[in-house]
This record gives sequence, C-alpha cells and structure tokens, in this order.
Amino acid sequence: MFTQKCLQTIWQCTALIVFASLVAFSINYLRNDRLQMFGNGSPEARLMDPSGKRLDISLAEAKKLFLQRSVVFIDARPQDDYEKGHIKGALGLPWNEVDRNFMRVTEDTSPDTPIITYCDGETCELSHNLAIFLLDMGFRNVRILINGWALWKKEALPIESGSSTAGQG
Amino acid sequence: MNKKRNNLSRFLYYSARWILGGVFIYASYDKILHPAAFSKIIYNYQIVPDGLINLTALVLPMLELIMGIFFWIGFWMPGTVMLSNILLISYMGALTFNLARGLDINCGCFSTSSGSSINIETILWDAAFLLLSVYLTVAVFGSGNGRTSKQIHG
Repeated sequence: MFTQKCLQTIWQCTALIVFASLVAFSINYLRNDRLQMFGNGSPEARLMDPSGKRLDISLAEAKKLFLQRSVVFIDARPQDDYEKGHIKGALGLPWNEVDRNFMRVTEDTSPDTPIITYCDGETCELSHNLAIFLLDMGFRNVRILINGWALWKKEALPIESGSSTAGQG
Repeated sequence: MNKKRNNLSRFLYYSARWILGGVFIYASYDKILHPAAFSKIIYNYQIVPDGLINLTALVLPMLELIMGIFFWIGFWMPGTVMLSNILLISYMGALTFNLARGLDINCGCFSTSSGSSINIETILWDAAFLLLSVYLTVAVFGSGNGRTSKQIHG
C-alpha cells in the first residue's frame, strides 16, 4: 500500500513537471518575444552589442584605463549618491534624469572616447541602461563596470565627493 | 462528536487546498506574462546555473499555475502536495541563503516588478504556506491517528 502510494506520487510529480514543461514551451513558441530556452540569462550574456562583443569590463581592465587616463567614467546612480562619493573624475549622469542632462554632461566627450558606466550592486541595472542609451546616441566605445562603485571602493582606488563633473583625475 | 470532527477536518482540508491553490495561481500569473523579467530575477538569486535560467523561468510559473488549478479541483493530490512541499522548501532555502549573504534582490515571489526585496517577512510567508502544504500532505497521505484521507475527503 505504502509502496503503491509512493509510486503513484512519483509518477504524478513527473507527469506534472512534463505537462507543465510542454505547456510552457508551447506558449513560449507562440510568443512574439520568445525566450531562448537554453539561453544564458546572465546580464553579461545579455549585454552584447550587435556584433556579439561583450559590454562588461573587468575591474583590472577598468583600473588600467583609469591609470592611463584614457577613459571617461560615467556614474549612473542618482545625483545624491554621486555627490556623496564617486570614482575620481567620473561624470554624473543619473539614469532617472538622463534625457534632461545628457547633452550637458557629454558635450566635451567625443563619440570615439572610451566610456565606462557604473552603478552600485551586482544587480543594479542603471549602468546597463545608460550604456545602451549611450550606444544608441552614437558613442561607439561604451563598456560597463558591473557593481562598479562597490568594487572600486573595495580596491581603495581614487574616489572623490561633491557635484563637480569636470575633468579626469 | 465524531461527525463534528470530520466536518471540521473537511473544512480545514478544503480551506487549505483553496488557499494554497490561490497562492500558486496568483504567484504564477505575472511570471507567465513576463518570462524575461522573471529570468532576470532567477539570475539575481545566483543559485541556478546560467544555462538553465531561461528554462526555469518558463517552466516554474507554469508548474505553479497547474498545481494551483489541481489544488482547486482536487486532481492528483498526492503528486501536487508533494511538489508543493518541494517547491516551498526550495524557495525557503533560496530566500534564507540570499538573505544570510546579504544580497539585496527582488523577491520575485508574486510579481516580476521591482520593489519587493527579500526579507524576513517573505520567509515567514513562505513558512506559513509550507505549513498549509504539510497539513495537506498529512491529510492526503492519511494521519497517524487512524483517520484516513478518505474520511477527510468525504
């Protein structure tokens, strides 16, 4: 009796999962915005330009470009957070006010200038949104430092506070 | 006296089924509509391997919906309550693990929109649902005091 009940339960569990999978796959197949079934769901994988180049950049690489002074950092966090502290020399372009401030903040930046966007937290998407926006606006060399602010502070790399957005440090 | 007890058991059994069924259906609805947003939430939990994230985002909400419907209509109860236990225990593990390591992420429990971070409250809610699920397991598989599931089901 007990074995029979166990077998029945296992059979029903399996059938439920198979049935749910079949329905889910069928609905997904019929959707316009179909999700790639075995696609990589990570932000890194999502963050590719049309040529398949990854947009994220490692901290080591970002640090190297910072020390060479050959990159412009753009902070995508809200203005308050930017003023409390940001990567030294970074421009502040809060994602929530991007339309209003975009022209003013980027007026001295040429389309070929390497740009690194960042925000705070591994799951923060402000920098992702800003990077894609900048690419759409014609900037050709935009990368994202995921969890940039936290990583930068952890490495004790140069930071500054205040609202100044001018210059590179 | 016995009849009264049976009526109460039946009332509790049906209430638990309806509540849990409603919870699963409500939890599945938004995730089925927005699989891409849900896959992002699953990624943020950092538990599921990258290659299986989209698969999970597609199948899990559908499983919840079907389980919810089965709870309501009382179909395949042994399998449904067992899966319900497995899912609720897994959710509790995932929530506790990420809360303990201090990840501030969207729960994705009932909706894919942001604003519902994981916290102790979400874990307590999960525990309450798990309690209902365990009660149903006992009811479905027959309790140890001689009452069979048939007596409860009527």
